[in-house]
Amino acid sequence: MITFWRAIQIISLILFLLLLTLAVSSINTPTPLDLFLLFDPALITFTVISARILVAAFIPALVVLLITLFFGRIFCGYICPMGTTLDGGDKLFGPPRKKQSEPVKLRLLKYIILIFLLGASLLGISFVFVVAPISLITRFYGLLVHPVLAFLTNEILILIQPLAEWFNMNNIIFLRITTPRFATQLFVITFFGVLFILTRVSPRFWCRNLCPSGALMALVSKKPLIRRGVSDDCTDCGKCSHSCPMAAIVTEEPRITLHEECIVCRTCQNICPVNAISFNSAKTEHKFEMQEFSFTRRQFIYSGLIGATAATVNLTGLNSLHGKPGPGQVAPQGLIRPPGALPEMDFLAQCVRCGECMAACPTNTLQPIWLDAGFMGLFSPSLTPRRGYCNPECRMCGDVCPTDAIRKLSQNERIWAKTGTAVIFRQKCLAWEHQKSCMVCDEVCPYKAVEFRKEPGNRVPVPLVHEEKCSGCGYCEHFCPVQNQAAIVVTPMGALRMSEGSYIIQGKSQGLNLLIKPKSKYGPQLKGKDWGKGFAPGFEDDKSSVFPPRFEEDS
Amino acid sequence: MNRREFLKYQVKGILWMIAGGSGILLPKKIVAESVPDIAVAKGAPATATRAAVELLGGMKQFVKPGNRVIIKPNMSFPSPPERASNTNPEVVRELAAMCKEAGATRVLVLDHTLGPAELCLDRSGIRKACNSISKKMVFALSDDSLYKTADIPEGKTMRSTEIMKEVLKSDVLIASPVAKSHSGSGVSLSMKGMMGLIYNRGVMHWQYDLHTSIVDLCTVLKADLTVIDGTRVLSTNGPQGPGKVLKKNTVIASKDMVAADSYAVSIFEWYGQKFKPRQVRHIREAHDRGLGRMDVENLKIKVIDI
Repeated sequence: MITFWRAIQIISLILFLLLLTLAVSSINTPTPLDLFLLFDPALITFTVISARILVAAFIPALVVLLITLFFGRIFCGYICPMGTTLDGGDKLFGPPRKKQSEPVKLRLLKYIILIFLLGASLLGISFVFVVAPISLITRFYGLLVHPVLAFLTNEILILIQPLAEWFNMNNIIFLRITTPRFATQLFVITFFGVLFILTRVSPRFWCRNLCPSGALMALVSKKPLIRRGVSDDCTDCGKCSHSCPMAAIVTEEPRITLHEECIVCRTCQNICPVNAISFNSAKTEHKFEMQEFSFTRRQFIYSGLIGATAATVNLTGLNSLHGKPGPGQVAPQGLIRPPGALPEMDFLAQCVRCGECMAACPTNTLQPIWLDAGFMGLFSPSLTPRRGYCNPECRMCGDVCPTDAIRKLSQNERIWAKTGTAVIFRQKCLAWEHQKSCMVCDEVCPYKAVEFRKEPGNRVPVPLVHEEKCSGCGYCEHFCPVQNQAAIVVTPMGALRMSEGSYIIQGKSQGLNLLIKPKSKYGPQLKGKDWGKGFAPGFEDDKSSVFPPRFEEDS
Repeated sequence: MNRREFLKYQVKGILWMIAGGSGILLPKKIVAESVPDIAVAKGAPATATRAAVELLGGMKQFVKPGNRVIIKPNMSFPSPPERASNTNPEVVRELAAMCKEAGATRVLVLDHTLGPAELCLDRSGIRKACNSISKKMVFALSDDSLYKTADIPEGKTMRSTEIMKEVLKSDVLIASPVAKSHSGSGVSLSMKGMMGLIYNRGVMHWQYDLHTSIVDLCTVLKADLTVIDGTRVLSTNGPQGPGKVLKKNTVIASKDMVAADSYAVSIFEWYGQKFKPRQVRHIREAHDRGLGRMDVENLKIKVIDI
């Protein structure tokens, strides 16, 4: 039978997946698609500390902490999609457990992680993306489950095509789901593989021992208002302590509850043969001291120091960005941030690597990177023009970003949010090097930043990029027919990275001219100087060609 | 002889009679009408389209009852009709309607768009225009599972390519390109437009010679009817524009792709100049290889104003 607990869990997971599906389908609604990410206490807390910002969007996490103060860790038990997913994995893969197996001391680990994060974030480095539960679970569903489902759906569509043809259902015949592809799959699959395996050690191993958000909530739920109480009817049978998924009931003393570990799932209440357990504000507290649970001052200081040290080590890596760009900066050449991304240091501090922007990106150009930008840049989004172009009319990434690491822009501002500049590699270019007539880069450029010109000694017109018109959208690189490395490549050069202010004003003041719409209804009126006399690309000189004689005779 | 064989003979006999009968009727028709090689109609888009096809003897000359028809317009760019980078929606709609009138069971308007498929179908206005005939008619196919490799026996440089399965299964192919300039191929008309029915056109740029491979492609994708939309002509900055758009209110129809393209090259201005068809290499090559005729001065052309 599905208990109230399970029902709420499932509804909550469905809601989470629904919001993610909306983001993935590029359907932007007034509902905050990133709501669950905003709930994550650790995610938000350490982003606030490391980025040194305070934004109203961070209120949901505060609310979660307040609720925890009064009602215990109900977020973990009922809302958290990570918890529900792990419970699901436990149901599928977990063996019937006889005894709680892992050492109780392990649960201190989550506090150590918490303090580690605190130490690092005080120095302005955010490591929270490695362990924040909602960030991880969003990546699991958005970047791993979503492509697999898309692939399978497409295979089914191909399979049923003959049937659709039989019934003449054109909409089905031609319907295809494009499979998005993502880098760093290996990490997500390994990480969650390990988590699912750990459910065999104990259910919710992650929540008990590792989750920093769980640790943060545990700190405020030592004695919540509504909590587990055991009446004197208790026979000390110990069924409850065996069934507790969080091991929050002391094995030898079933009347004792570790409230900070309790997720209020009420499994104990349902299993109790004498109905001795209740969850209310009535206070009958049993005194019990457990020395090994206390967190010593030494441990506290050590883990904080290790966090700070890790942050410092990070700041000294070759690839890690340090301060403003300038001589001596080794930044990866192909690292092109999404349009509206904050200045790099702020961006890295604020980006929680939830993968929401990448899952929502309609052209699949946004990809998580590995260690190209050091450990600090791990899993952060980068444009991959060879995979997809960045549509100047699309604002999904900024709209779904929970921490505003990518700014939410108006359509007009978005057009001016320059991400880089295209550079032509003449040695690879079909027109420049091979004198083949190719104009794909001009054909696809939405900004009309590519111009084709006659060059002396070349029988075909060749492309040139007007930097001031180029936004770095990557249409040219994406569609360039030259394989492997394209002959026209977007570089981060000239990207506008601003934490505030208007891209239009900034762009215009530095001489940019980023327009995607023609000025008049029928396009700009071309003047004589735009096209040299006698020049029409693609046509041949009349004198050079020989008219075939056999048809001339006809006249 | 058993009963089954007897019936077979009967059916065969009837079929032969029908064949013979139609054979007798056919020459009469040809003698009766003088069909031009190129039909040109000037006027409003839909009426000019219908008139031009009527001059060729009407759609029933090309589409027989029960036929599967593919119409290939230009709808590769997410730009509105007035930009002239896509075919006029009214021209496409009228063609689809005429195919239905001629008894086609299945009419599809297909392209492999360069821009985002949904945006192209929307902004070109073609899907909306055709919705009045059928809501399941206009599609942009970009998934490779919808294409199938086909040989090009007469190909000089490109010997095979992946073509839309739906096109390979069709009975009639109608090219309905917009008249526009093209920075790589001079013009983009019915022949260049066939690149929208294949999966990998990139190779035509980097692996093969563009002009020669266009002709190769047209040896297998030879349109039964070509209707060039010259209602607006993108005279400069093609294929995408924005460029100079000439209001010409002209529709050109022909059974011969090369002739239709040649005529469009010769009557419209490109980059402010006049050109001869032979100055567009793929047209010249197509003519030389016997795919059609570019010597428009020797062809029978009928022009009407509506």
